[in-house]
Amino acid sequence: MERSFKTEVELLNLGKGDTFHGEGILAVTKALLQSGVSYVGGYQGAPISHLIDVLTDAREIMDDLGVHFEANASEAGAAAMLGASINYPIRGAVTWKSTVGTNVASDALANLASSGVTGGAVIIIGEDYGEGSSIMQERSHAFAMKSQIWLLDPRPNLPCIVNMVEKAFELSEASSTPVFVELRIRACHVHGSFEAKDNVAAKISRNALMTEPVFDYGRIVLPPSSYNQEKAKIELRWPQAVEFIKREKLNEVFEGEFADIGIILQGGMYNAVIRALQQVGLADAFGESRVPLYVMNVTYPMIPEELNAFCATRRAVLVVEEGQPNFIEEALHAILRRADIQTKLYGKDVLPMAGEYTGEIMLGGVTKFIEAVAPKGVDTAQLHQQFEALTGVKKRAAELLGAPVPNRPPGFCVGCPERPVFSAMKLLEREAGAYHVSADIGCHLFSSLPPFNIGNTVLGYGLGLASNSAIGPLFAKRSVTVMGDGGFWHNGLSSGVSNAVFNDDDGILVIMKNGYTSATGTQEIPSSPHQSQAHRVTDMGIERTLTGMGVKWMKTVNNYHVTDTFNVLKEAMTSKYNGLKVIIAEGECQLERQRRIKPINAMKLKNGERVVRTRYGVDEDTCTGDHSCIRLSGCPSLTIKDSSDPLRVDPVAHVNNGCVGCGLCGEVAHAAVLCPSFFRAEIVQNATWWDKFLAKFRASIIGLMQPA
Amino acid sequence: MTNTPYPNRPLTVLLAALGGEGGGVLADWLVAAAQAQDLPVQSTSIPGVAQRTGATTYYIEIYPVPMAQLGGRRPIMALTPSPSNIDVMAASELVEAGRAMQNGYISERTTLVASTHRIYATVEKMQMGDGRYDAQRILDAAPQLAGKAVLFDMAAATQEAGTVISAVMFGAIIGAGTLPLTREVCEQVIKSSGKGVAGSLRGFAAGFAAAGGVLPAALPKPVLAPGALPRPDDFPAAAREIVAEGIKRLADYQDQAYVALYLKRLAGIARLDTGDGKLAAETARYLALWMSFEDLIRVADLKTRKSRFARVREEVLAKDEEPIHIIEFLKPGLDEISGMLPPGLSRRFHAWATKNGLAQKLSVGMHIKTNSVFGFTLLRLTAGTRFWRRRTARYAEEQALIERWLGAVEKAAARDLKLAYEIALTARLVKGYSDTNKRGKASFNRIFDHLVDGELKLSDSERAKAIFTAREAALADPEGRGLEKTLGQHGIKPLPPREQAIRFIKPPAARRV
Repeated sequence: MERSFKTEVELLNLGKGDTFHGEGILAVTKALLQSGVSYVGGYQGAPISHLIDVLTDAREIMDDLGVHFEANASEAGAAAMLGASINYPIRGAVTWKSTVGTNVASDALANLASSGVTGGAVIIIGEDYGEGSSIMQERSHAFAMKSQIWLLDPRPNLPCIVNMVEKAFELSEASSTPVFVELRIRACHVHGSFEAKDNVAAKISRNALMTEPVFDYGRIVLPPSSYNQEKAKIELRWPQAVEFIKREKLNEVFEGEFADIGIILQGGMYNAVIRALQQVGLADAFGESRVPLYVMNVTYPMIPEELNAFCATRRAVLVVEEGQPNFIEEALHAILRRADIQTKLYGKDVLPMAGEYTGEIMLGGVTKFIEAVAPKGVDTAQLHQQFEALTGVKKRAAELLGAPVPNRPPGFCVGCPERPVFSAMKLLEREAGAYHVSADIGCHLFSSLPPFNIGNTVLGYGLGLASNSAIGPLFAKRSVTVMGDGGFWHNGLSSGVSNAVFNDDDGILVIMKNGYTSATGTQEIPSSPHQSQAHRVTDMGIERTLTGMGVKWMKTVNNYHVTDTFNVLKEAMTSKYNGLKVIIAEGECQLERQRRIKPINAMKLKNGERVVRTRYGVDEDTCTGDHSCIRLSGCPSLTIKDSSDPLRVDPVAHVNNGCVGCGLCGEVAHAAVLCPSFFRAEIVQNATWWDKFLAKFRASIIGLMQPA
Repeated sequence: MTNTPYPNRPLTVLLAALGGEGGGVLADWLVAAAQAQDLPVQSTSIPGVAQRTGATTYYIEIYPVPMAQLGGRRPIMALTPSPSNIDVMAASELVEAGRAMQNGYISERTTLVASTHRIYATVEKMQMGDGRYDAQRILDAAPQLAGKAVLFDMAAATQEAGTVISAVMFGAIIGAGTLPLTREVCEQVIKSSGKGVAGSLRGFAAGFAAAGGVLPAALPKPVLAPGALPRPDDFPAAAREIVAEGIKRLADYQDQAYVALYLKRLAGIARLDTGDGKLAAETARYLALWMSFEDLIRVADLKTRKSRFARVREEVLAKDEEPIHIIEFLKPGLDEISGMLPPGLSRRFHAWATKNGLAQKLSVGMHIKTNSVFGFTLLRLTAGTRFWRRRTARYAEEQALIERWLGAVEKAAARDLKLAYEIALTARLVKGYSDTNKRGKASFNRIFDHLVDGELKLSDSERAKAIFTAREAALADPEGRGLEKTLGQHGIKPLPPREQAIRFIKPPAARRV
């Protein structure tokens, strides 16, 4: 795992009277335990990976409470796990990255929502939208509407988030409906505090087992039950939810001085709205606003009575709703029309339809709204000037800088085992011309960035090979699919490999076997290096699995041997074998490897044992500064510096001290016949007497021949 | 809104760092320090989960009044930074400070704390020439945009203190004095973090001191070494140092006769340079570099020098008592080997080897341990064949191209100095080894065949501009597509795509049932 949570785990033990200080997603974990869950599951991915990771490290606490925790095989698996709450009064929660995870989970979610639940079923979704997001920009809101799952969007501070998670279970039980709790990226990572409560052990748990199964045909999604379930959703569960939300006051109204206007906002937008109001002098540091607010901590279902009451006395209201389509704004129009309320609504006319509502965007939207409605006592001309002054610095900076600074997207880490495979693919491209590459989700998708620019399409996690199924037959040359081992176990095995073998696909599949789901924080998978030892399960290696499925052409290469990798790729391209050709590119995730070996080496050094440190370098004398090595590597540690040669104007290549000695740069120099500038240095720490003797002996002979 | 005696907004801190630099640790330190002083605090971030390379930010808000004095009220803190609303902007690298400017986060109320060192982005590194962002712009803009700017080389301070850059940043942020956090509390926070404490404290102290008054230096530029050798007076002043360097280089490369050839070649052009001497200077530079082309002999020579052994030791941070091994990655191919033969023989050998499919086989990757007696002797023997160099095919090839280039520069210099200058700079394309070298020469020849010597009807200034554009395109895109595009603007037919060596096998469509 990328991060150890041994210290954070202690936070989960806090009880009444303690104050929890920590990250948002850990507060959610604590809230789950305070709610008396019997089981928790999920599939990792930013921004909710830490929830999974902390539970993995919290086995003891979970065992004490009798909570069953499972790192599921996919989001579909996690959603299906909620089936335990359909017939039994058991609370459970699962989590994933949305919307991608929600897409995968949709089948189970739709069934779950139709059946309805007995015990509280809560889904924590990390809404990966906007800055820092790595997925397509979509809203989870649509899923809530189509399956009728309630959607909570709490104000992003820890007490409110924790309270809403606890209320989510009650709401779920009060309305027999599963509930989404949506947290945006920054809310997941927000550090704050809240007053803890004691953990609650569930009545049914691993420590208190059930004995009698419940059979109820009414819970099965088959006619006529399914027709009845659809009716129950509208006639029973919806009114129950609305009643609960009103009674428990889950949505909040904050009154203000300008009683004839107001803002209706998603809970998650609250802090940003307050900040914008502060910046134009309409709110103080404690959130006391001159503009009244209706905060929707529940964004689905909407509560017409509350909305009508808020709007009826106001001439204009701004709806702050992030993302598109603007479901809330459109629904509010309909609600007001039905009640014949003539309040003018602002929304996506003053705020952008798409994209994240950052500080700057929110400031613009709120300013435009206030200018348009001109509340009594506000000088709108002055307000506008203030806005111009605040945002003018951007223009001034652009003028001073003259040219935009270069982008710096995330990329492969120093020593990443996936980089050499793309170096080999690049070399093949040079020799053979371009070929179609169906890419997949994972770190390896960074190949689509400079300097490689490899990968023509990406269709979903583990779907690389499936996405190639019509490309292959329609191309005059073979195409290549790249898939990670994480993707392989998530979906690639069933949707990709079995389909390709069954249909006699002639493609080439490169599986990046680095041992973990690296992109989400190096969680373990069935084929992780130490998995079989730790869990004492049977060998679930990729090779055995593929052999069992009937893959006949399979080669394993050591990624760092670029020439070998290149040769195997070329062989796959030119082989007479007509069937799926699988290349398993093996190399452990370097982050995880370093984490493993660093303490071992440190210990050895401390004990005076011999340790050889390896790193690479570029000879400044022979480097001509053409940078072709960089174009085939992109390693962050292989960089450039000014040449100390006064004749050379172009910077020379240089390996900095971040080098972990993976050897790719030297291998590439060989494989691509680049230049003789690369060298490997092996530094012998805690040298033995033999090392010292040999060094001295060699130096004395070399010294006789050596020019200055 | 009530009128309270409290400040109407929190203090805001935006940290810009690259993945893996400890930005998260720094944010945690600031949070802990604020908590220790009972100040309301909140931090957020958007870290990618695992990758260590991209630019990322951490955002912290601190309300400058202790909670004990707030009577249960709590300030509302934002999760995203807003333009003109940042009190402290700290950047672990210079372009990240530039990015913050670009995003409108540096205004009059901002204390900018940034390192002046550069970590280059991939797009800056991968160009064939110099693709680096002009960082001086950021240094110039900083004092104009920020209320206060603390700029110094944090990477150097970090290395000196033997710690991580986040510790130096922490010290500098506190030293700048904008936040209500005391040095004592912050040092206590570091101490209780329990990991690498001594180093972090040293780093903190260095940063704290630097923020107290050390001003930024301009970016270091490479300086010409003062030439100990004679500076021939008949060269324009601007060229003298480069000529001196060239003389030194070529004497080291071959012999005094070779130096004489250099000076003779240069003299003609220097006489024609009646302008600022830039033409003579740049011609002197590229002529010296070209004449000292890197063949097997030169590489072997450079790899076995005492100064090089010392440089490697220093670069890899080997301690005095630690023996090191140096292993070279060498892969001389058919071109390098045949290049060592006399021209006639070389041609025949090359043709024979290509015909018999030996081109690949002759190219054997070697790992030579230069610090071993055998490896060292092998390289020294190769270096010793310097006397043979003038008879090699490679020598003949390079000299012919050099003559073509110089001839064109001289011819143009008689008419138009600007044109001659652009032609002279075309030599920048010829560098690197094997394929890279071949591609560079191909670009060079394309430009010479069509823009320098070709039949295009262009005025001298148009021609100079065309050559400039073509050269820059070739440098930015070594695969040559960019160059062909610019040539296309002058109606020159692009080269056909290269023939593909591999034959891909596809199954007959009928096989699919």
